[in-house]
Amino acid sequence: MPKTASILGTAIAAAISALIVQGAAPANSEAIPNFAPDDSTSYVLDRAGRGIDDLLPPASGPGPITWDKAHPYVPNGGGRQSTYRVSDLSNPILQPWAREQMKKTNDEVLEGKAPFRARERCWPVGTPGFVIYSLVEPFYFYQTAKEVTIVNQGGPEVRRVHLNVPHSKNPKPSWYGESVGRYENGDTLVIDTIGVTDRTFIDNYRTPHTAQMHVVERWKIVEGGNALEVTMTVEDEGAFTTPWSATQRLRKAPKAPIMEIACNENSEDHLGQYSFPMPVTQKPDF
Amino acid sequence: MKDFRVHARAGAALAAVLALSVGSSAFAAGATPDISGTYWATEYHAKLVIQGGGDLPLTAMGKDAYAKNQAGLKSGEITDAARKFCVPDGIPRSMASPYPFEIIQAPPGQITMVHELNHQIRVIAMDKPLQTYEQLVAFPFYNGHSVGHWEGDTLVVQTNGFNEKTFLDASGAPHTDMLVVTERLKKTGNQLEDVVTIHDPDYYTKDFSTRFTYALRNEVRLEDYVCGEPHRNINNIKGIPEARRANGGR
Repeated sequence: MPKTASILGTAIAAAISALIVQGAAPANSEAIPNFAPDDSTSYVLDRAGRGIDDLLPPASGPGPITWDKAHPYVPNGGGRQSTYRVSDLSNPILQPWAREQMKKTNDEVLEGKAPFRARERCWPVGTPGFVIYSLVEPFYFYQTAKEVTIVNQGGPEVRRVHLNVPHSKNPKPSWYGESVGRYENGDTLVIDTIGVTDRTFIDNYRTPHTAQMHVVERWKIVEGGNALEVTMTVEDEGAFTTPWSATQRLRKAPKAPIMEIACNENSEDHLGQYSFPMPVTQKPDF
Repeated sequence: MKDFRVHARAGAALAAVLALSVGSSAFAAGATPDISGTYWATEYHAKLVIQGGGDLPLTAMGKDAYAKNQAGLKSGEITDAARKFCVPDGIPRSMASPYPFEIIQAPPGQITMVHELNHQIRVIAMDKPLQTYEQLVAFPFYNGHSVGHWEGDTLVVQTNGFNEKTFLDASGAPHTDMLVVTERLKKTGNQLEDVVTIHDPDYYTKDFSTRFTYALRNEVRLEDYVCGEPHRNINNIKGIPEARRANGGR
């Protein structure tokens, strides 16, 4: 490509991304939504409605994997015997290889094996599964001018969102990927993530993805700060036939500062039911 | 009785530093110093380096506990869970980390330390008094319970309420659940220092201090950290190659 064309191309790309970043900003877009007005504010999965640790389908359009109608999922704490998840393989978003891989884990669950769940084995859950990492552990927000750190107390699991900066050219795949973000409308944190390692699953149905996945999440403060509405769009041609969307909802947890939890100390496989090891160091690096 | 003695002593020490600082405060009332940022140690020591030199001032009980820890770590009878399972390192060991960490002066009422190592979150409550041994004994944490206040430009952090699963350092220096750690964090230019004083009279005949220093490295982004996975390169940290060899590490 001639140099001028290349420069022009870059300029156009920059202009387009600037447009995307700025969007159609309303007058109050400068206001910074305050996710953590004090050291005791946190949010936990809202279990009042359809609240389980699943990504929930959007009002319309392609949506996330849910459970197989023949094997309804019963979560913990509902007064009935809970079950492990058997995924609905008829969901048209799945590429054939992803469906094939998920059928194998479905078969294992139906044979009585415990499926992998990041929270149970103390692995990072990744993006976008972060919001459904735990059924009961709350999320805390640490906001600075340059960064938002979001922590789930369980684990703890830590995500970093770098504010008002572009993505790196080729971020090295990592557990939570490279997240850049901005505030929108004075009530929303928009997070754009790429570079998530394909070692993580999308959700607790073991839905796979590739390292080319692109996720855009919107964490919006609603009900005057008493709840957060999370919506997301997932694009990954390698694993999905189409972009799809999902939602979740968090509500304010009882007031308490974050507590120390050390996931790895309590998750020993006493019953020998897991085929997935917890992260352990064989040779320490110092 | 023992518990009362510990806190009476810690209280007296605190009163003494408070009295010292009143006359020397460089800050107008209400101005909060800013020590936020990403910091990274430039050297690592497996053993606490005691200020003023010398060995750990161990009591007879402390000597026994240290000998037991060292023998157990060598034979494998005692697991260094902070390295093997990546549970929190405890205080002050987590402050000896050769990985970067971030200090965030938020949310209101709290200073938060986010460590890359073992994805530890350390909370320093700025709006609460130090709790007593009795209040905390049922809630022992690896990293204890920290409260802080400003003395001029220095953040003074007191931590107690520890479990007994951690060591003071990687050599296995022991502590009891009555340990009280006082830290004085001060930023000068692009350097942060943490002068740490250990108070644990069952194991140590007197209080002693160590000092950690960190370089301000705001250009560094903290990374995800998972036990046993390859992490960022820390070979440039002085003392790491030696520590790795001693550990039989990679």
